[in-house]
Amino acid sequence: MSDVNGTYDVCIIGGGITGTALAYSLCKLGETSVAVFEKSYLSSGSTGRCGGGIRQQWSTKNNVRLAMRSVKLFENFEEDVGMDIEYYQGGYLMLSYDEEEAEQFEKNVEIQREEGLDVEILTPKQVSERYPYINTQDLIVATFCQTDGHANPHKAVIGYAQAAKRMGADIYTHTEVLGVDVENGKVVGIQTTRGYFKCNVVVNASGPWSRQVAELAGVELPTESYRHQIFVTEPLENFFPMMAISFAGNFYMRQAHHGQFIMGQGDKDEKPGINYNVTFKFEKELAEKMVGIFPFLKNLRIMRHWSGMYNMSPDAQPIIGQSDKVKGYFYAVGYSGHGFMVAPAVSEALSELIVFGKTLHTDVSYLNVDRFSNEDVEKEKNVV
Amino acid sequence: MVNEGPTEKKHVKALVIGAGPAGLCGAIATAESIGDGKQILVVDEGIVPGGQLPKQTHKFFGHEGFYASVRGFEIGEKLVSKATDLGVQFSMQTTVAGIYEDSIVTYDRNNNSVDEYTADYLLIATGASERFLVFRNNTLPGVYGAGAVQTLMNQYKVMPGESFLIVGAGNIGLIVAYQLLQAGANVKAIVEASSKIGGYMVHANKIMRLGVPIMLNHTIVSALGEERVQGAIVARVDEHFKPIPGTEKEFVVDTICLAVGLQPSVELVAQTGAEIKYISELGGYVPIRDENMKTTADNVYIAGDLSGIEEASTAMIEGYIAGYNIAQKITGQDLSEKISTMKDELIEFRKGPFASKVREGLKKMNILFPSGGYRERTQQSTGPNGKLRAVIECPQAIPCNPCETSCPTGAINVGKNINSIPYVDYDKCIGCGVCVMKCPGLAIFLLQEKEDYSIVGIPYEFLPIPENGTIVKLFDKDGRYVADGQIDKVSVNRKDKTHLVFLRVPKGMENIVRHFDLAINSEEYVCRCEEVSRQDVEKVIDSGITDYEEIRRILRIGMGPCGGKTCRNVVLQIIAEKTKIPISESKLGAFRPPVIPLPIDAIVKSRKGVDKDE
Repeated sequence: MSDVNGTYDVCIIGGGITGTALAYSLCKLGETSVAVFEKSYLSSGSTGRCGGGIRQQWSTKNNVRLAMRSVKLFENFEEDVGMDIEYYQGGYLMLSYDEEEAEQFEKNVEIQREEGLDVEILTPKQVSERYPYINTQDLIVATFCQTDGHANPHKAVIGYAQAAKRMGADIYTHTEVLGVDVENGKVVGIQTTRGYFKCNVVVNASGPWSRQVAELAGVELPTESYRHQIFVTEPLENFFPMMAISFAGNFYMRQAHHGQFIMGQGDKDEKPGINYNVTFKFEKELAEKMVGIFPFLKNLRIMRHWSGMYNMSPDAQPIIGQSDKVKGYFYAVGYSGHGFMVAPAVSEALSELIVFGKTLHTDVSYLNVDRFSNEDVEKEKNVV
Repeated sequence: MVNEGPTEKKHVKALVIGAGPAGLCGAIATAESIGDGKQILVVDEGIVPGGQLPKQTHKFFGHEGFYASVRGFEIGEKLVSKATDLGVQFSMQTTVAGIYEDSIVTYDRNNNSVDEYTADYLLIATGASERFLVFRNNTLPGVYGAGAVQTLMNQYKVMPGESFLIVGAGNIGLIVAYQLLQAGANVKAIVEASSKIGGYMVHANKIMRLGVPIMLNHTIVSALGEERVQGAIVARVDEHFKPIPGTEKEFVVDTICLAVGLQPSVELVAQTGAEIKYISELGGYVPIRDENMKTTADNVYIAGDLSGIEEASTAMIEGYIAGYNIAQKITGQDLSEKISTMKDELIEFRKGPFASKVREGLKKMNILFPSGGYRERTQQSTGPNGKLRAVIECPQAIPCNPCETSCPTGAINVGKNINSIPYVDYDKCIGCGVCVMKCPGLAIFLLQEKEDYSIVGIPYEFLPIPENGTIVKLFDKDGRYVADGQIDKVSVNRKDKTHLVFLRVPKGMENIVRHFDLAINSEEYVCRCEEVSRQDVEKVIDSGITDYEEIRRILRIGMGPCGGKTCRNVVLQIIAEKTKIPISESKLGAFRPPVIPLPIDAIVKSRKGVDKDE
């Protein structure tokens, strides 16, 4: 503690979408004594590795509200934050190949419409009329929301980070947080590879490492990281506006701004733990499946293949709030694969929680870790 | 690695990636030791095995044990037939697309098919790729890398242009210039940014006497032309290699050939998890390895330029060392004697001044090679007047001795240290000219003073072969016209095509004449795949983003078909220049598979094919 390198009100651990968006949101509220600590480069964790989808078609009212607020913020991103992040509202086409799921889809649409979201239900015939390049064999039903879309996650992080910096925040990359200093049940500082920093608030926004970073302060979080893989093809002229996704079919795919197709699927056999290797099994399985549904893909080549971590919570929904054990210790973790899309709204809510002690725009209290002490965990169904 | 999914994985004991001199020698060493070449598979992208050898038409340096004085393409043929005789399997036109957690995936371009392998041992000998240079209009058609020029000209027999500017006076630039001249092209100049010629002086002398200027302290600043290259602007550079305004010169050329060095191709070895480190003396990022060529990854060996930019002889020796070590592991037999013989060879080859960078680089991995112990002074005497005799103009200590071993009378001495500069014993020399035709550097001449004129015998590798009695123009070692002369006679060397032409030159010019002439004849792009310019990169760096991975994601650098093989180091250099943080301290970016674009239908086909069989 002898060599204090600096003092901040808020120290954020993790330079992904949550950390940088939170720094930005805090600065906008006038709280500019903020620093982000990233152990590698910005967006090097889950954000920079994700598919970049942004959707509002969720199965619970709260999640729909959170996502709709996020979309509002994405719509204004370029004007507010000052960076073109290739945001495009080409819609989300959710394809169901399972009777039970199809029924659930219709229930979801009811909830979504109640929240004011404009969602269509499409028959297979309508899907093939609208998207003649999709093979609709075995398709039961699809839903479509035009205001869903996608963006470039890395650019979003850089945009937030640069805007936060302009307002006075500090961003430390290649700086690892080694310890969180707690005195009398209250956060007082952090130890990093660049020395010690005093602070009143620490935010765990460390994605894949959320549980380990929580342990630094003696806080327990029920998260577990699982590898998910993605590959990207060479580019084509843009003709595929939407994100196509299927839970039962286990895939998602979009055409990015540059024209390349980005796609992924989950693997039920994946064991928890951080692993950035890639398997050829994934390439084979996904390539074969996707060529069946999107036959034009067979003429494309795979350019790159990588993996990233889903930081899973027990109910596949984020864990957001303040520790009741350690005062000043906040977390926004366990996004379960959809952190990028909700981060703007989550960060806004969290910044309000930190500055005002309560949220103003979106209620996130239902995402507090306390919910897991309740035996009856309601799992979000719309997750690949 | 457990078999999963319908695709059958093939298993080999040793998988060799790259059929260049290092990979071939590794395969040969392993095959001959385990006595079963079928257990060894060599995978290579090329149409024919041999790596860079099939496009090399010049004779190689070294000693006979490693094919000195043999032309590169012939060395390739010899090694391939040796490996084939031992039963080694080859998979050509096939790229290892990635070393995945669960398998090694190859893509066969010819059949558009994908295969999966597992291997007990990997020998990665992926060699090097060419460094790229950033200058205005460098995307104009007509800007080539030296390797591409060699492939087109020497392998496919297509001339990429008629008049050339060559950038870079290392061995590759000098050799390509010579090969272009042999093929009838006009080489206007070689520009070299540093203050000295990087390649062997004997290579430089070969082209200087043909009249090609080597412009030191000069670089190219722009290609000129609308649709394709029509010219080039070069300028003098200051001590920081920045062009000095006002020193520009224009050349009318239709082709610009870049020969600005090589960088190890580490993409695949990085995917094995082997530790990679930036060691500039070895050419950039290189795998950390031990004296036995083993990387920090289990059962993963390397050899050749991948382990540090050097040359073919040492690549072959490293291949043997790696190959014997793998064989030792496979069979349990003791091959330490063979391995230590090869290590002694390496020590010999690396004692000379040209190996100093490699020695320095390897020192950073705690691998030490001694230097010195060779003769550095050139012989002063050119022998007794009037006697037909050899004079050797080999000014640098390079590891090479075919002159000594080919001399039928034992008149030439290099000695035990192969780096020593050769001396001629004029009592023993009979002026037979064998050494003239053998010397890979074309650095030996014959002299004889006669009553009215002198005879100069020079090595000659051009067409047509001149007729006796023809009047010719005579040039000095810098390609300057000095006098007229006459062809006295020609010894045609049908076997290896270095002929010996005897010229009659005016008396007193025997030490001057070294060649004759019969004929009396915009934007600067960093990443060409994604069209990212230097200005784009600098703008991002200026905005405070200095991490390679961050810049890459913003500008899409390295996300095109080359996967960053061309632009990664250029960007790292720009970052280093602008941030003043050396590349060795900046963060190594990811090397993601596949290293070549992999057709989806080939992957799907590989699964369907198996399904049908079931």
